[in-house]
Amino acid sequence: MRNLILKRVFKQRALYGLASAFVALGVAGAAFGVGGPKVVSTRAFLATDAAHPGQTARLAVLAQIEPGYHINDHKPSLDYLIPTKIEFDASPAFKVESVVYPHGRPMKFDFLDAPISVYEGEVRLGSLLKIGSSAKPGSYALRGKFTYQACNDYACLPPTSAPVEALVRVVPSSVPLKPANSEIFRTAKMK
Amino acid sequence: MKKGKVLLGVFLGIVVAVGLFFVNKYWVTPATTEVANASGNFPQAPEFSLTSLSGEKINLQDYRGKVVLLDFWATWCGPCRIEIPGFVQLQNKYGSQGLAIIGVSMDDGPEPVRQFYQTFHMNYPVAMGTDRLGELYGGILGLPTSFLIGRDGRIYAKHVGLTDPSVFEAEIKELLAAPPDKAVTDFRTVGYTATRDIQTSTPEEVNSVVPGVDVSKLNPEELKEFEKLLSQQKCTCGCGLTVLKCRQVDSSCQASLQQARADYAKFVESHQG
Repeated sequence: MRNLILKRVFKQRALYGLASAFVALGVAGAAFGVGGPKVVSTRAFLATDAAHPGQTARLAVLAQIEPGYHINDHKPSLDYLIPTKIEFDASPAFKVESVVYPHGRPMKFDFLDAPISVYEGEVRLGSLLKIGSSAKPGSYALRGKFTYQACNDYACLPPTSAPVEALVRVVPSSVPLKPANSEIFRTAKMK
Repeated sequence: MKKGKVLLGVFLGIVVAVGLFFVNKYWVTPATTEVANASGNFPQAPEFSLTSLSGEKINLQDYRGKVVLLDFWATWCGPCRIEIPGFVQLQNKYGSQGLAIIGVSMDDGPEPVRQFYQTFHMNYPVAMGTDRLGELYGGILGLPTSFLIGRDGRIYAKHVGLTDPSVFEAEIKELLAAPPDKAVTDFRTVGYTATRDIQTSTPEEVNSVVPGVDVSKLNPEELKEFEKLLSQQKCTCGCGLTVLKCRQVDSSCQASLQQARADYAKFVESHQG
């Protein structure tokens, strides 16, 4: 293993660049134990411009991971890795019925013997929201948190979370719904 | 035609060999060894007292005269895990000469750490870390982060990220060779993971109501006034919070730290002359 590390001599400059980015990001973010540097941001989308009472609405959450970093799969390859997960706050207007996580990408690291499954770049999660049959027309905030633990090729950041927010507009059943964000929902798995 | 190709191949081979020689001489080597701190002004390692997983007290003060490798790590951190066997070997090899490795785990709880300790046959004390300890050591931005403390109690090197054991070994040997209680003014750090700027904090700065700013010299009225001053200013980091709030929720924000320190200097000057 030590030889593997030593083989990286010629990568040193590139890694030094990564190290600088890591430190710069850390300084702009937070230190260990006080929130943690943020390397993931999220956006949430509904498949329609609004939702009807009693309907099951489709929700997609896009998590964007900073280049150079990866986060663990929802089902990590090794038991000591911290899984990525999303949790939603309870709402009187709707209930989150399911969350579907994509499969991670196998990645090989110098410090591990076998590849591990991780997320890189953009991660698309699909979720089904059951709108309460008694939900009154209006706008309801959907809030949650996307919990992750990020690493780059040589160091790890503390576990932290990114907020997830969306506005769910409930309209009377007589108002027709229009499809929205179709490009996103073509690739986000719901089941 | 065939002879021409052979000659071209030989020529290219020579060019590559000469190129590699110069890359090695002028590019790789200077990146791996450098004087850590040109001024020789290495900060004193902040004192701390922790209890190891086996219940022993770890007071940094008791390690004076030894070379200490202080390693912040976690069981969920792959690069940290790969460094540990190297540390075990270093402790075996240099323990009798005065090396003492201390592991500080940033895991949430001790259970996985205990398990890891047994599995990896760790031969040096490991204690659970705290945010406060991290802040005393300038904020731990990522893991692993290791500090090399000389026999005189000063921090000579800080390595962030996976670091080859040979890097630590070279630095440890350099520090072990130094006489106790004498600064190593010509210490040369090794490796690309070394950071040049080693910052530490005092307990007064860490425990302050304005983290990072030692306000212990202010009387209660002045402190209240100073807090009010900081809560009327927006932090320039883009967080949308006031300087005071930003300091309190994100103590590593450099923008709010600089603002708060500058304001503190002005405040003290105007109030205490």
